[in-house]
Amino acid sequence: MPSPCDHRRSPSCGEPTGHRGTRVRAGRTHRTAGGLVAWCLALVAWPAIAQQPAGPQPKPWDAILVASFNIQVFGESKMAKAQVVEILARIVRRFDIVCIQEVRAKSDEIVPAFVRAVNADGSRYQHFIGPREGRTNSKEQYAFVFDSDRIELDPSSPTVFPDPSDRLHRPPLCARFRTRVIPVQMAFTFWLVATHTDPDEVPQELEALTDVFLGMQRARPDEDDVIMLGDLNAGPPEFKSFSRIPGIGWAIANTTTNTRRTKTYDNLVFAWPATAEYRGVSGVLDLQSTFGIPLETALEVSDHNPVWAAFHPCEVAPQGAIGPVAAQPQPLR
Amino acid sequence: MAADAPVDIATLVASLTDRAAATRIDAAERLCRAGAAASPAIVALVSACGDDEAEVRDWAVAALEEIGPPPAGMVHELEHLLRGGQPLVAYWAATLLGRSGQAAASAVEALTDCLTTATDSAVTQRAAWALGKIGPAAAAAVAPLRHAAAGQDPRLARLATEALAAIGG
Repeated sequence: MPSPCDHRRSPSCGEPTGHRGTRVRAGRTHRTAGGLVAWCLALVAWPAIAQQPAGPQPKPWDAILVASFNIQVFGESKMAKAQVVEILARIVRRFDIVCIQEVRAKSDEIVPAFVRAVNADGSRYQHFIGPREGRTNSKEQYAFVFDSDRIELDPSSPTVFPDPSDRLHRPPLCARFRTRVIPVQMAFTFWLVATHTDPDEVPQELEALTDVFLGMQRARPDEDDVIMLGDLNAGPPEFKSFSRIPGIGWAIANTTTNTRRTKTYDNLVFAWPATAEYRGVSGVLDLQSTFGIPLETALEVSDHNPVWAAFHPCEVAPQGAIGPVAAQPQPLR
Repeated sequence: MAADAPVDIATLVASLTDRAAATRIDAAERLCRAGAAASPAIVALVSACGDDEAEVRDWAVAALEEIGPPPAGMVHELEHLLRGGQPLVAYWAATLLGRSGQAAASAVEALTDCLTTATDSAVTQRAAWALGKIGPAAAAAVAPLRHAAAGQDPRLARLATEALAAIGG
């Protein structure tokens, strides 16, 4: 698929090398790779852990890769397992931004320690973690972990979506991001809306999340891109309430997303034509086949597989024309 | 990272009450990883939600979130746990009773008591939800549900209204 960013590419935007390499701009080293197709092929052919090359892994020059990963009970005991942490770190490094669900820990050091493990290969990931949420004293946090060479967070943007009627067990964490791989004026900006539904109240929570999505579309007039992602505890046949959102669609369908390969729980949801930046490429990173590990071992990592989708790094106008739609990050109004 | 040996649910259940926190954490984690196969351990996992160690509670909650409805024959034990007083234990006992649906009809009185006397809002809300899941067999709870439906807690009011509709009250 040709990239609408292609003909706008300038030397400062970086030329595709068609192969793995590095380039330097403004004193920063930017990793480049083949395009999205090459990246997808590399993902499919991902070798076993021991064969992974050292150093930061290349990423496609013509796409940013957004992932959602429920890392079941991501806390002290999981972080104490070095090999689990190593697999988790390798997963995160494949993507530009990962929305993590189920951080469950007394300590505030779990995610920072994990990001240090991710960056052990020279990567420069950063993170933002939300408050502890949940109606009982067993609470969870959402976190965004992102490659700061390719993505930046609007620091004024993170917010927990207001839920005064208490419709959601864990109200979504919303944050706005911008790609850094092309000039600011052209960069794709977008809201990420992290969610993890209560499995006992899925229809009611999907109804509430529909309102959240519509609310985030109105959050600021210069931002038309809303990507809701996370563990919905539901698959597309249960997305009936989403039909209230004009042009709604989702990245994952007709496949399973849990580690046991029995359920479709995780997804990325966004609307057309607003998010015309979607490259039409998405997938599930199957822990067992990717790492060549048995189910029992994969379950030590998580009971969910990561799901992901690829987006153009530049703004794409809804009619297919190319140009800036969103302004630079500004404080929420 | 070697794969675990085949899961012995009974052994893991016994380990959930071990004196050593590390043993309890490991048992709860292994039961969580066992998925639906751990359903015979549901009562023990609900009890473990009252453990002093947060990681035991976290793994027990994670296991219960995904485990589905309990096997037949656990209603009485869950009812006992519902009355036990610890909020997280009561919350999960109510949740499992609700997942049992009509099979938990004998727990209507306990759930109604919980609805009217529990001091933790998450517990009262879950009790209302569970009564709705039991359906018409929870007709005895109509009056307290109507009271809850008219209350100030918006979530409790909504759940009580939904429960009344499910019960036919």
